[in-house]
Amino acid sequence: MRSFNNVKTRSRKTRKTGSSRASAGKREQNKEHTKGRILEAALHFFREKGLEGTTTREISKRAGIAEGTLFNYFKTKEDLALYFFQKETEDLIRWFRSNKRLQKAPLPEKLFAVIHRQLEYLEPYEDFIGASFCRSLQPSSSLSPLSFESQEFRLKYLRFIRELLATAEENKEIPRVGELGAYAFGLFYLGIVAHWLQDTSRGKQKTLALLDRALSFGTQVLQRGKWEW
Amino acid sequence: MVNPRNTAVRRTARLFQLGAGLAGGYLAHQVQRPFLNAAVANDKRQALKRKQARKVREQLQDLRGPVMKLGQMLSMQTHFLGPELVEELSALQMHAPPMHPSLMRAQFKAAFGRYPNEVFRAFAEEPFAAASLGQVHWAVTKDGAEVAVKIQYPAMREAIESDFAALRTAGLAARLSGHLQDSVIEEVRRGILEETDYVKEAAHIEFFRKRLAPLPFIRVPRVSRELSCERVLTMSRVAGLRLQDFLQSNPSQSLRDKLGAALCRLFFFQLFRVGALHADPHPGNYLLAEDGSIGLVDFGCVKRLKPEVVRCYAQFWSREWAHDRKIYDEIIRVIFGSRVSPNEPRVRRCMNGIKAFYDEFHPLDGGTKPLELADARFMDGLAKLAKILIGNKFLSPEFVFLSRTESGLCNLLHILKARVATTQIVREWLPKSN
Repeated sequence: MRSFNNVKTRSRKTRKTGSSRASAGKREQNKEHTKGRILEAALHFFREKGLEGTTTREISKRAGIAEGTLFNYFKTKEDLALYFFQKETEDLIRWFRSNKRLQKAPLPEKLFAVIHRQLEYLEPYEDFIGASFCRSLQPSSSLSPLSFESQEFRLKYLRFIRELLATAEENKEIPRVGELGAYAFGLFYLGIVAHWLQDTSRGKQKTLALLDRALSFGTQVLQRGKWEW
Repeated sequence: MVNPRNTAVRRTARLFQLGAGLAGGYLAHQVQRPFLNAAVANDKRQALKRKQARKVREQLQDLRGPVMKLGQMLSMQTHFLGPELVEELSALQMHAPPMHPSLMRAQFKAAFGRYPNEVFRAFAEEPFAAASLGQVHWAVTKDGAEVAVKIQYPAMREAIESDFAALRTAGLAARLSGHLQDSVIEEVRRGILEETDYVKEAAHIEFFRKRLAPLPFIRVPRVSRELSCERVLTMSRVAGLRLQDFLQSNPSQSLRDKLGAALCRLFFFQLFRVGALHADPHPGNYLLAEDGSIGLVDFGCVKRLKPEVVRCYAQFWSREWAHDRKIYDEIIRVIFGSRVSPNEPRVRRCMNGIKAFYDEFHPLDGGTKPLELADARFMDGLAKLAKILIGNKFLSPEFVFLSRTESGLCNLLHILKARVATTQIVREWLPKSN
């Protein structure tokens, strides 16, 4: 409860000091901070009770904010899930750009590392991911690939993959695959997640094997054929 | 939805592709042959063999796992295959395509729960050796000990199961004709599957470390149990050079002889005193040192021998069975099972073949004269014996790994060009009761 008050005082203060660019930035930072705290609280329950079993009351109580405030940030639990995936994408891109060795690695390894990092991020929340996966199949859901809300982070992800493939094209690792390469990889990733969710082997090593073989096989096919879109 | 069987299907397809590719190559050659003169034909054949040998190696390398293991086994049989194929296949022994660092780290974490750099003080990302089911990295523990860490490729058990299913189908003709028995395939499958369990391998290493202690010239690594699990095996580093590197250092004949004798002593000591065999005799598993000692590594494939099998094998050397009907009947029962009559002509042919081989190379009154293992005559004799045994369906699951180890040893000594008084060494360990 105390931290909730802190946030409020801080936002009141910022209002007083006027709307300079710096304080607007700070306000944004505070907003992100609160969102992060809500997400943390939500994930705690998602992990224990899944997406369906968790109530917004529980989440707001654990995050130390009023239930009404929660709705200022997230209209639905799905919006919360969406925020989780946004964070995941940002984390992935930041991590990849800071890894110098990986940037010089051959394409199959890069792509392997990307997906593995994503799966590792998802790992503690397996049940919740499974539920989100089912939800995303409903066209009305904000998690659906067709929803307006999901476009932003999806595009971010696709652009990142496109960048990776473009580097490989420049290095003559693969022929030109263009935009379609990134789309295909996005679909491939969803397939891998579906496999991963059902993989009961220890340490999910069947998924590791599938990922490794599929990526080196896929790259070999690309290298052999002529692909111009 | 991605089908997990996909990889199995792809591996099977690759196996058939390999077979079809080779057949295609031969067919094209057969069609061309009548139109080529002899010299050109010979050149073409050489080129074809080289090309095919390379193809076999590349495909096997890609598959990793048990099929590659099979390639390794074949590469030990220098005398039965063409030199082109042997040269290519021996590249398999140490150079499987390694897991890239990201996969290696992921696999280590999947097996161990933490990343290598969290567990070790230093960890070499590049493997120093890639084996068929895993790869080996140098590392330094937090206590500062230099160790070798073996990490298994992901989902090896599943790959082995599906490869053997494919092998059963591919070998249908041989199975129907009785040249390949299901029990033999099963024994090989059991042996290779066992290699995927590093906890078991750790137990093997500890067992052999204790039991081989009477042989001061054999060095066995020490396992770090707390840094090992089912798919990661950490052990102390063992000094020495692999056979090919050792030969490049131009060792003297006396050193070759000394190492040859040590290898022989090791084999017979295991057989007659330990009752279990380090049954993976490929040259990469023996690290040879200049002081004549041998570092023994890779205990994935260990065969525990039944006492009657050891007794039976001892008889090949002592040859009492030739004039003792009771012993002869017992040998036939152990090798062929109780349903085969000892008087069957093929049984007689096998036993006579074995006797002829041992009479020629290991004569009973042989004294202390060393056997020239570099001599092609010996390998020819071995090949002749193998042909008789295979042709007459000498099949015993109990003997699969024993004969694999023995022929691997002969091959090793042959490459080493050692001169070893084998008969004398056998007498040191041969059980007295025989």
